[in-house]
Order: sequence, then structure tokens, then C-alpha cells
Amino acid sequence: MPRTVGIDLGTTYSLIAYQDKREGQPKCIPGPYGTPLCPSVVSVDPDGSIVVGQAAQRRLLTQPERTIYSVKRLMGRGPADVQDELKIFPFRIDPASKNVIRVRLGERVFTPPEISAFILRELKMWAEEYFQDSVTRAVITVPAYFNDAQRQATRDAGRLAGLEVLRLVNEPTAAALAYGLHEQKRGKVAVYDFGGGTFDISILKLISTAEGDIYQVLSTNGDTHLGGDDIDNALRAMAREEIRKQGVDLAAHPDTVQELRKALIAAKHELSSADQATIKFPLPDGGVYFREISRLEYDRLIRPIVDRTMGPVRQALADAKLAPGEIEEVVLVGGSTRVPLVRRTVEEFFGRRPHSELNPDEVVALGAAVQADILEGGVNDMLLLDVTPLSLGIETMGGVVAKIIPRNSTVPASAQELFTTGVENQTGIDIHVLQGERELAKDCRSLARFQLKVPPGPAGLARIEVKFLIDASGILQVSATDLRAGTERSIEVQPSYGLDDAAVERMLEESIEFAEQDFSERQLIEARNEAESVLPLTERALAREQSEAPGELPEDERRAVEDALAALRESLAGKDYKRIRALTDVLNQASTPLAERMMNRALSTALEGKKLGDV
Amino acid sequence: MSAPSTTVATQTNCWNCSASTAGAHFCPACGKIQPFAPGGDYFAFFRLPRKLTLDLGALEQRFHSLSWKLHPDRFAQAAENERQLSLDLTSQLNDAYRTLREPVARAEYLLSLYGMRKEGQKKQQAPPELLEEVFELNESLDELREARASGGSESQMAGLRAKLDSAQHKFESSLADVDQELARVGTEWDAAIDSSADEASRKSLMERMNEILNRRSYIRNLVNGVRQELTAA
Repeated sequence: MPRTVGIDLGTTYSLIAYQDKREGQPKCIPGPYGTPLCPSVVSVDPDGSIVVGQAAQRRLLTQPERTIYSVKRLMGRGPADVQDELKIFPFRIDPASKNVIRVRLGERVFTPPEISAFILRELKMWAEEYFQDSVTRAVITVPAYFNDAQRQATRDAGRLAGLEVLRLVNEPTAAALAYGLHEQKRGKVAVYDFGGGTFDISILKLISTAEGDIYQVLSTNGDTHLGGDDIDNALRAMAREEIRKQGVDLAAHPDTVQELRKALIAAKHELSSADQATIKFPLPDGGVYFREISRLEYDRLIRPIVDRTMGPVRQALADAKLAPGEIEEVVLVGGSTRVPLVRRTVEEFFGRRPHSELNPDEVVALGAAVQADILEGGVNDMLLLDVTPLSLGIETMGGVVAKIIPRNSTVPASAQELFTTGVENQTGIDIHVLQGERELAKDCRSLARFQLKVPPGPAGLARIEVKFLIDASGILQVSATDLRAGTERSIEVQPSYGLDDAAVERMLEESIEFAEQDFSERQLIEARNEAESVLPLTERALAREQSEAPGELPEDERRAVEDALAALRESLAGKDYKRIRALTDVLNQASTPLAERMMNRALSTALEGKKLGDV
Repeated sequence: MSAPSTTVATQTNCWNCSASTAGAHFCPACGKIQPFAPGGDYFAFFRLPRKLTLDLGALEQRFHSLSWKLHPDRFAQAAENERQLSLDLTSQLNDAYRTLREPVARAEYLLSLYGMRKEGQKKQQAPPELLEEVFELNESLDELREARASGGSESQMAGLRAKLDSAQHKFESSLADVDQELARVGTEWDAAIDSSADEASRKSLMERMNEILNRRSYIRNLVNGVRQELTAA
């Protein structure tokens, strides 16, 4: 019997969850590596096969020109919008991109919804493997501050992945659902959601009525281009500058970009719990970039990024007509809320300790699973009342926007507008729909243009009523009625930044060629590939250690590495991919001390070469 | 005009079982969700009389209760036509609640139901009692813009900003006065409804409300304009 799931399609990680009926609790589904976290990374192999997740993450280092991460940043946007991002993200935008971005991966070109669809398909396979049953319907989460085009792109991705998207749910609201279930809290709640690429703040009221619990969003605000990626980029800018002073220009060595990023992210993670972290990065000229960074210095570096989150927080509170002290619970969501400065800033602002009992990486997927269950009729004493984050308007004369549905209106929401012709025998009325808070159309986000067809006649005779409806997923539907004839009028909508239906249909047809291999078969190939690249590397390292510093490696460490090598080699003869992966991990663990020694030796050699005054 | 003070539900028949629904949201016989005339009447949607004083707590309760009954999440497994009805009705519920919970929006909506909402002209004249203040304000704004353009001294800018600040406060308190005036006329309106006052009295009340709303709109634009200048400076 086909299953319904909840999916968190995140910038950095994606997760899939379901409602466990027996326990009455949502649960995340683990993937082939045992973790529910699927890195939102996609790679295209030379033979055309698509690789998603941890395996693709490795290809970021080895084949960066065929691999993409943080594709969520490109969803629902046009090429002109992302020019700034291109300076810090290695997106290869195809020059032929018009209103939809096309990204080059190896020899092929894909749109962001297609790439997101690969991630969704991967998760779908995880779930189908777990249930031993098909999965056809899903609730997918989006940042609360996503505009219409970004939402449509997400829905298109779901469709391309072969999923019926029951609803798009806002990430902070999904988190509130998961917390409400877990903590049975009531009152006014602020959800501070700081992810890899997006920031959302939502203010909710949790109410108990006779029928059950209502989760009512009062206001929402955010920044769809502010996240942990920005922290990574701040560290990267610092590192590149310092490396440049050491006389190395990393721009000349593009293959080191991902290695450096990996090292910096490791330091960032360390600084979430330790007061200090060390970055050790081998440079292309044989030297080492050795940098100790204290928590204090890190805080100073990232303070502007954290401060940027507080503007939307203040605006959301103002829109909800609440003071920070009136918020009774604060919830932290998203991996970037692990950063100590973030926690401190939020705690100081609201004057209370924020909650993070639920895993900030998993809570959104769990909430999506709960909403999926509500829609399936599995739960009937919970109700979500969400809002649209941006005002909807139409362009009027002089390029001014007339707002027809204000921001933070509870959805579904609608507005009716009456249109007529301005000149005699005019056969079309042009309408430009926008989202945003500014006065002028040029400062707002263009959603779509459409034209109402009218029969020729005197000016002012036609009376067409257009109904704008924002549905529960926050997506706009438009319909028109000819009041004089009493009939529905046809409208052709041209999305400003998205795929039209014909394009999605075409992609659905083309996607059949990306037929998946059997799931286990694929996992076995991946596990073998990884083992086969780690084995010779470790063997060579061991040999180098013996020749460069004979006798220095302790006997027990050497034996551990050799045993691990043998065990892994032996497992490759079999077909148990889980075993191969487990033994690869054992080998990596066993050879870590060896790698450390070699690094430290390289470091002291590099330092020896410098005069005392230079260090 | 002869629009009634409360809307009497129009006789309609259930699309499913043909029983008479009397304009209810759900058929009393078979329980199926029923259409409601789009774009209005928000008071009727909440089964409220067309009065301007509202118990906000009761309104919210009714909003929640209707949400439980109408929301698309509750119809996710239902037939296509019922899902569409649920979507339409819930959007009307939300539009109605959004309009009725704000006193100004509520008054504007009431007037629009009777065709009595006539907005002020583009180049609206300042209300007579504010004429002098508006004149002074425009002068101060000009001075501020000039000073900014020609690089006025810190103390000069500070002085001009302080003047604008005090003007803003004055207008904000005018705004509060207007809101109170609106509330008073609202109470008169409610009394007129209760006593089944004649059309002429009701029309005159609505004309007064219209004038108050126009005045409020003008003052609010002034307040916003000053705020913009102050944040720009």
C-alpha cells in the first residue's frame, strides 16, 4: 500500500520521515550509510549516471566540475539574480539560461528543479528500501520566506521526482508541529530557523480548542540568502587572504577550493563545542596553512552575519504586535543554530533559554511527516494555520504596485479585482502580478504576467473579474470570470522565473532515461569505489612513513592499519555493501594517527624553513 | 437603498441531496460543504449583524471553530469538488476574519457593502483644523531636504529633525482622535441598526464615516511621509 512521507529538502542536508502509527511519533528514515542526513549534493558521472548524497560529496573534491551543492539557492531565481552568489559559489551557469537558470554538470545541463528532483528521488528510494513498499505522496518543506516562484520550483521538483506533492509546508511551522507534539506546549512561540542557506523567523500562537490543537502563525519573516554557507564563506575569505600573504594564490589551484572548504567546515563544527579550533591545510606549494582560531575571534568574524538575522526577527515581532518579552517559548531549528554566538544572541534578545531538545537537523522533516499524517486523515486533532510571507500586488499605472493581499495574511487567502478595457477594440488586458513590500513594481519580485482575452468593443464595456487565490501551500492560482457573459475566461500565465507546464511535461518524459539501477546494486558499486580509492592511498602512506621516518610509527598503530587494510581487501570479494562501508570506516579511523603524524612532520619542516621573526 | 441591516440567508439547495440549506456552510440534511457567494458578505459569513462594535474574543473563537470545519487540510481525502469548495470557503473565511478584526477595515468594508465608500480626491485638501500644521510641516520638510542637499551642519539637521519629530507626534495624536471619532460614530450606527432607523439616518451616518475614513487616510499618509523622511535623514 503506497506510503506518504514528509521531506525536508534542505540547502545542506535533506531528510525523509514518516509517521510511525504504532508509536504515534514521526521518525526519520536512515539511508544506506546509517544516517538520515542526505547531503544535498548531486554529481553526474561521465557515463551519465546521477550520484546523490555522501558519494556525491566525495566527488566535490575529485570532480568539482560535475558536482553541485546548495542548489536550493538557485531555485525560483533567474540568472541575473544569482550573479552575486556566483562570486562565492562555484555554480556553472549556462550562458543560454534565460528566465530559468541552467547549470552545467559535466557535459550536461540541468535546471535547479531537475537537480532537486534527483535529491528527492534518492530520498524516495531510501524510503522504498526501508518500507519495502512504494512511496508516491509527500509533504515537502520550504523556507517560510520563499516566494511564489521558489515554491513552484519546489513543487515542480517533487513532480519530476515522481511524487504527488500534497502540500508545501513552511519549515518553521513544521518544526513547531514537531515540538508541539513532543512538548505539549501552549502559548506564543518564536521559531528561529537558521539553516545552510536560508533564515526564517516565525511567530506562532498554539491554542487548545474543543476540537484539538491549533498552530496559528501570526507572522513570518526571513532572508532566503542567509545561512551557514555565509559563515563558511567568511572563514574562506579570511583563509584565502592569509594564504595569499604566505605567497600562494589559491585562484591558480581551483582543485583546492573544496578541500579548503572541507577543512574550514570541520573547524566551524569544532568551534561549536570547543573554545578553539585548528585549521591545517596542505598548500599546493608543499607548505601548510596552519591557523589556530579562537572562539572569540570566530565570534567577531561572524557577528555581522548573526546580526543580519535580527532585522527580520524585529519585523516579525512588530507585525505580530508583540514585544520580545511576550514570547513564551523560543525554538531553534537548523544546523547553524549550533553556533554558540547564535544561541547567545537569541537568548539575550528574547530573555529566555531557547529550546533545542529535538535534533535541529531532523525536526523539520519530523514535522513534515506529522503534516503528511494530518492530510492522510491519520491525525484529526491538529490544525495548521499558516500565512503568506509577502504581500501580493498588481502593477498599476505609473509602475506603482497596488497591494491586494497583505503579507502575513492567513492562507488560503484571496482577492478579487475588476478589470476593463482602456481603449476601443482592445482585445487583451495585461496584468503583472508581483510579491513584495515596496511601492514600485521595479523593486518588487515579478511573479507572472498574463493577458485576459476580451472580445472587441467600446472602452470600459468589458467587465472581467480576476480572482487571485493563494492556496495552503502559499502558491498563487489565478482565475477570471467575464461578468457580462457569466463565463470563465481563459488565462495564459507566463511565470517570470519558472518552468511552465509544458516544460515540466517535457522534462518528465526525458527523465525516464535516468532509470535507476537496483538500489542495492548501486550501493555496492559506491562502497567498492570508495574502498578502492582509500586502499592504495593508505598503502602508499604507510610505505612513505616507513621510508621517511623508519621506526617512528608505534608497532600497535602500524598493526591496526595493516589489519584494517587486510579486512577491507577481503570484504571486497563479497557483496555486503554495509560490511564494506563499515570496514572502510575502520580503516579511516585506524589511519588517522598516521595522517596526523605526516601532517605534523610536514608542518615542522615548513616552520623550520622560516626565520624566528616570521612566525 | 434598501439593503437590510442583517443578511437573511438566501434559499439554496444542496448540490448533493437537494435539501434546502438556507445558506448554511454545511447541508443540514447530508452534511456536505456548500458554496458561499464569493467576495462577500463577510458579516453573513460569520453570522454577524452588520454592526461596527465586535467582541474580538468571540470573533476569534468563531474563526477557529469555522477553520476546523472548513480548512483544506480537513478535506484532503475528499472528492475534488468538495476540496475546491473547502479552498474557496476557507479563503473567504480568512479574508472575512482579516477584514472584520481591524476597526478601520471593518468600517471601510461596511461602507463598501452599501456602495458608500468614496475615497478622497488625489490632491486632497487638508482637514481645516490641520491646515496650519500641514503648512508648517511642508515647510519643515523642504528645509530638511535643502539642508541635506547643501550639507547642513549637525546642529541644524538635529534641530530640523526635532521639529519633524514633534510634528509626527502631533499627527499621531490626531490619528488617535480620529480613531475615537470613528468608534463613536460606529456606536451610533449600531444603535441605528438596533432601533431600525430609517434609510436617511443610516445614509447620513455612513456619509460621516466616509468622511472620517478619508481624513484618517490623509493623516496616516502624513505620518508615514514624516517617518520616511526621518529614517532617511
